[in-house]
Amino acid sequence: MRIHFNLNGKAIAVDAPVGTSALSLLRDYLGLKGTKEGCGIGECGACAIEVDGKAVNACLMFAAQLDGRTVLTVEGLETPSGLHPIQEAFRDHHAVQCGYCTPGLLMSTHALLAEKPHPDHDDINTAISGHLCRCTGYKNIVSAIEAAGKNPGGKN
Amino acid sequence: MTNHYKQVGHSIPKIGITERLTGAPVFSADINLRNPLILRVLRSRRHHARIRSIDTTAARTIDGVVAIFTAKDIPGKNAHGIINKDQPLLMGDKVRSLSDPVALVAAKTDTAARKALDRIKVDYDDLPAVFTPEDAMAPDAPAIHDKGNILFTRKIKRGDPETAFKACAVVVEKTYRTTRIEHAFLEPDAGAGYVDDDGTLVIFASTQNPHYDHQAVVSILGLEKDRVRIIQTATGGGFGSKLDLNVQGFIGLALYHLKQPVRMIYSREESFLATAKRHPLTMTLKTGADKQGRLIATRATIICDTGAYASYGIPVASRSAVHATGPYEIEHVDIESHCVYTNNPFSGAMRGFGTPQMAIAHESQMDLIAAQLDIDPLEIRKINALSVGSVTSTGQKLTASVGIGECLDRLGPYYEQARNEWLKEGDIPYRKKGIGIGGMWYGIGNTGTKNPSTAKIKLTPDGRLTLYTGAADIGQGSSTVLAQIAAEVLGITAESLHLVVADTQRTTSAGATSASRQTYISGNAVHIAATACASALIAEAAALLDLPASALVLSDGNVIEAAGSTRRVDFARLASRLLEKKKPLEWHGVFDPDTTALDPETGQGVPYATYAYAAQLVLLSVDTLTGEVFVEKVFAAHDVGKAIHPENVIGQICGGVVMGLGFALMEEYTPEETDSLKDYHVPTCADLPDIVPIIVEAPEPTGPFGAKGVGEPALIPTAPAVINALAHALGKRIYQLPASLEKVLAVSIETGHYGPKEA
Amino acid sequence: MSDIEYYRPHDLDEAVTFLARNGATTRILAGGTDLMIDRRAGTLNTDCLCDVSRLVELKRIEIIDDRLEIGAGVTMNEIVHSETIARFAPALKIAASQFAGNQIRNVATLGGNVAHCSPCGDTVPPLLIHDATAMVRSRSDERAVSLADMAGGPYHCTLGPSELITRFVLKPMTAEMTLTDFQKIGRRRALAISRLSMAVMARQEKDRSIAFIRFALGACTPTPHHFEAVESTLLGKIPTETLLWDVGGKLARQMRVITGRRPSAVYKEPAIAGLFVRILYPLVASSGKPVAP
Repeated sequence: MRIHFNLNGKAIAVDAPVGTSALSLLRDYLGLKGTKEGCGIGECGACAIEVDGKAVNACLMFAAQLDGRTVLTVEGLETPSGLHPIQEAFRDHHAVQCGYCTPGLLMSTHALLAEKPHPDHDDINTAISGHLCRCTGYKNIVSAIEAAGKNPGGKN
Repeated sequence: MTNHYKQVGHSIPKIGITERLTGAPVFSADINLRNPLILRVLRSRRHHARIRSIDTTAARTIDGVVAIFTAKDIPGKNAHGIINKDQPLLMGDKVRSLSDPVALVAAKTDTAARKALDRIKVDYDDLPAVFTPEDAMAPDAPAIHDKGNILFTRKIKRGDPETAFKACAVVVEKTYRTTRIEHAFLEPDAGAGYVDDDGTLVIFASTQNPHYDHQAVVSILGLEKDRVRIIQTATGGGFGSKLDLNVQGFIGLALYHLKQPVRMIYSREESFLATAKRHPLTMTLKTGADKQGRLIATRATIICDTGAYASYGIPVASRSAVHATGPYEIEHVDIESHCVYTNNPFSGAMRGFGTPQMAIAHESQMDLIAAQLDIDPLEIRKINALSVGSVTSTGQKLTASVGIGECLDRLGPYYEQARNEWLKEGDIPYRKKGIGIGGMWYGIGNTGTKNPSTAKIKLTPDGRLTLYTGAADIGQGSSTVLAQIAAEVLGITAESLHLVVADTQRTTSAGATSASRQTYISGNAVHIAATACASALIAEAAALLDLPASALVLSDGNVIEAAGSTRRVDFARLASRLLEKKKPLEWHGVFDPDTTALDPETGQGVPYATYAYAAQLVLLSVDTLTGEVFVEKVFAAHDVGKAIHPENVIGQICGGVVMGLGFALMEEYTPEETDSLKDYHVPTCADLPDIVPIIVEAPEPTGPFGAKGVGEPALIPTAPAVINALAHALGKRIYQLPASLEKVLAVSIETGHYGPKEA
Repeated sequence: MSDIEYYRPHDLDEAVTFLARNGATTRILAGGTDLMIDRRAGTLNTDCLCDVSRLVELKRIEIIDDRLEIGAGVTMNEIVHSETIARFAPALKIAASQFAGNQIRNVATLGGNVAHCSPCGDTVPPLLIHDATAMVRSRSDERAVSLADMAGGPYHCTLGPSELITRFVLKPMTAEMTLTDFQKIGRRRALAISRLSMAVMARQEKDRSIAFIRFALGACTPTPHHFEAVESTLLGKIPTETLLWDVGGKLARQMRVITGRRPSAVYKEPAIAGLFVRILYPLVASSGKPVAP
């Protein structure tokens, strides 16, 4: 079927079989490799994207469900002036080790801060406890999100 | 403490972070290739069976299937393994475990590849299988490999333990068991490849050891070395599992025959099924101490279940034996560690090589002895802690950088506060609180074998510097740390240093990213290469400026007069002068730590040039009604020699602690039961305690800027500290990991914490 | 997989009309989180997906007369953020807030969770304590189905192929309730499959005697099961720890009668009694918790 949606600020249309996952649509049909597959069954959050402002697992969504929606992926975060403030916070707080969980976490953070610009510790925990990270022990990720919440404009 | 260094000791942004933050296609599954074929492997799903025939006829007729390979298509030696080459790439005559690969399919689509797997017919004769090392060691056990089921035994003998036990005031003997653990790195194994214009097989892989992969693929394909090139892509965690040959050999085989681009990505379930696990260990320790709590003697019998293949089984057996005493001085030892084949999934390297398992045993023994002698658990560790001048169980005299005492000291105030205040605060009905300590030591690098690293610094005619290192950065940050070491020596910033990393055509071997060795061993190789470069530049500048070399230093791309005059010469000018003199503009560094082989009968020798030390303090509470455990705080003191990149060290500590909590409380791999991230639970952010990392720096004279390592040490003390805290909370000890809901509740029932309290 | 059709009705009537014609070869798609698992496992044997996730008729959360109605298409996070549910069915809010991870809570629906008929479905116990029934539409009919009747067995939904759950009707919590709670035990604090779960709602008199109680157990029986004996034993009594242990023990034994002795019972039996004591402990005088809300 033909799926129309807004992807990272641009209206697009793409043909894909109905059974395609949103993750495969992004990676295999649109060539956007920033969204990762970690488990394929919604248990790790590596494939999180934002759909209509909410973080969802792209692996658990049919591509068809994106029809008519507004989708943001990690590729849409960067601004013409450089990294998004959330990306800067992850860099400055050493919240990235292997980096495979990072794009998904950035998207959940983006959705969280849009809803709650100054999240407390519980808000952060709620927003990211559906993401697995095996490297960092989460502590620096939480710090980065806290910092991004305190300084939404980033350094710029 | 003031930091006199400009690069070392500073937490600069991680090299490669921008690609990861922006989702650039740097992982193996992401890199762009022209219409790659998809590779999938048929696995045996049998524990132990002889292969009678493999029929691929029907599978070949499926639309989109390009080729199917079996053992007979392997042109070279059908065997791989880091130490024992006992693992065929594709099984020829028999299969030894559920995941054994039997056939490789290359197809135009994943759907076609999967269909083909269903249509390949393999005829097996099942053989008797064994699933415990005890059964495998029985005289009449079925032989899993031709040479028998006992792969290796490490013995360490020193003093006279039998006599010494008789003189002990207290002797404790217990058996401890751990289970299979899955690494659960976030990036499932993946690789890709193509054949270059000149016929070179170029293989991209998510790997911890590209130079080993290169050797293995060359041997499997029977090719000249320069016909294969392995390039490490961004690697989404490894923790030891990506030391084995996972996808690399299959990609090589397909490229060899098909000469067109291929990609291979394991599903998460396949990654669970087909890759190494942490060795389950059974450890019986008998430990004796005198009335003052001084450890006198220990006897240990350790059995490591390596499953169907050796992988890193020998290092695990060897390392667990060497570390069986814990970071304590014990005069009389009798240690034997056996590594045994079974038909279980193969075990290999996982963060710590047997030391995390061993620490469960030696740290439990410490608390048991302390309790019998009525000595405080922190105190008994201080009494016995190794120090400069101590002699280890292998007869090695420690001459420097023994920070276990300081680690324990640094925990002291937190420990006192926890006992005197925290323990008494906020009484929740049916909750019991516990405090536990775990200590550890960890030898940096391989055990009593050569394990050199090499590095190269190159200067371009325009004065720019490049560091070549074969060290695979798998997320822990070795590239950043090595760049900092080189940059510090060369008087430039790490950011301005160009890096070429882990590409077998361009770099020379740095050895495996394992055994917490890259900072110390590759760091030294880099330091040596950079120092040679710096010396050459200074010598050339000295001649040019007519100043003694001792008066010159490197700074911001120039050689300048240390005294602070304006006399300087930039690297570009020095490069052109060296070129004129036909001197090569590259400098090499090689470092192999000063070790000796362990004696096969007594285990005496110098297995490691240096050791990292750590102690952690865990504060937790237990719900006595349900067996739930709430880890509230972890204080983690780690002697790393010198923190080259303090935030990297903290990152390793926090990641290690959380992995340790999983090991202690929830992780247990059971084939066909817990083979997805839904059923195999690793800790989430919601399980995160308050972690307080404490960096201790007992400088290692032979380390780069005094550094040792921290990757594995970070994990090791956590689980024993949890187990000790649980014993403290409930008054009874758990001897088999994980301390699951079931086991904790059972202890709560046995100890009478569970049940009505009212009269 | 290229053979699957995708149909997205504009309103409820269109949906049930479509299902009347094509229900037998159609799977209803709401959040999609369970269907996608089936798709990946190769068990999504269907010709068509009928996407009901955008039907506003399934999205309502409202008090109508003395009933709390929650649309079947309401997501877990919509439950978490609903003030109406926080006030009238707080245990459901707790269960929804602990459901899977945030990304799944953003799409997974109440109707989907109930219709999936997983023995571990976390929304079922809190629905049971509100005597919830599912309102089920077909083109020609609307009927009320109890949750117990909905599940014919684990993962087996008894609804017909042309039927669609539109909403759940609950008895709202009243202001005089002393205690309402949902608790679950998993192997970790998030993303956990329930080893067991419990929901409770109770009202005590001034003398602490129990004037009303609804209790439900999750993840322990193949299908939702109402343990009436638990409620009737406690009713009118002044709860003590001893009484709670006693009733909790009986509950555990009853569970074993239903499921037979399984290996998991070694843990589950004592844990049921333990969690029962823990969740009801605030009713006991020694807890220090006041009777009045």
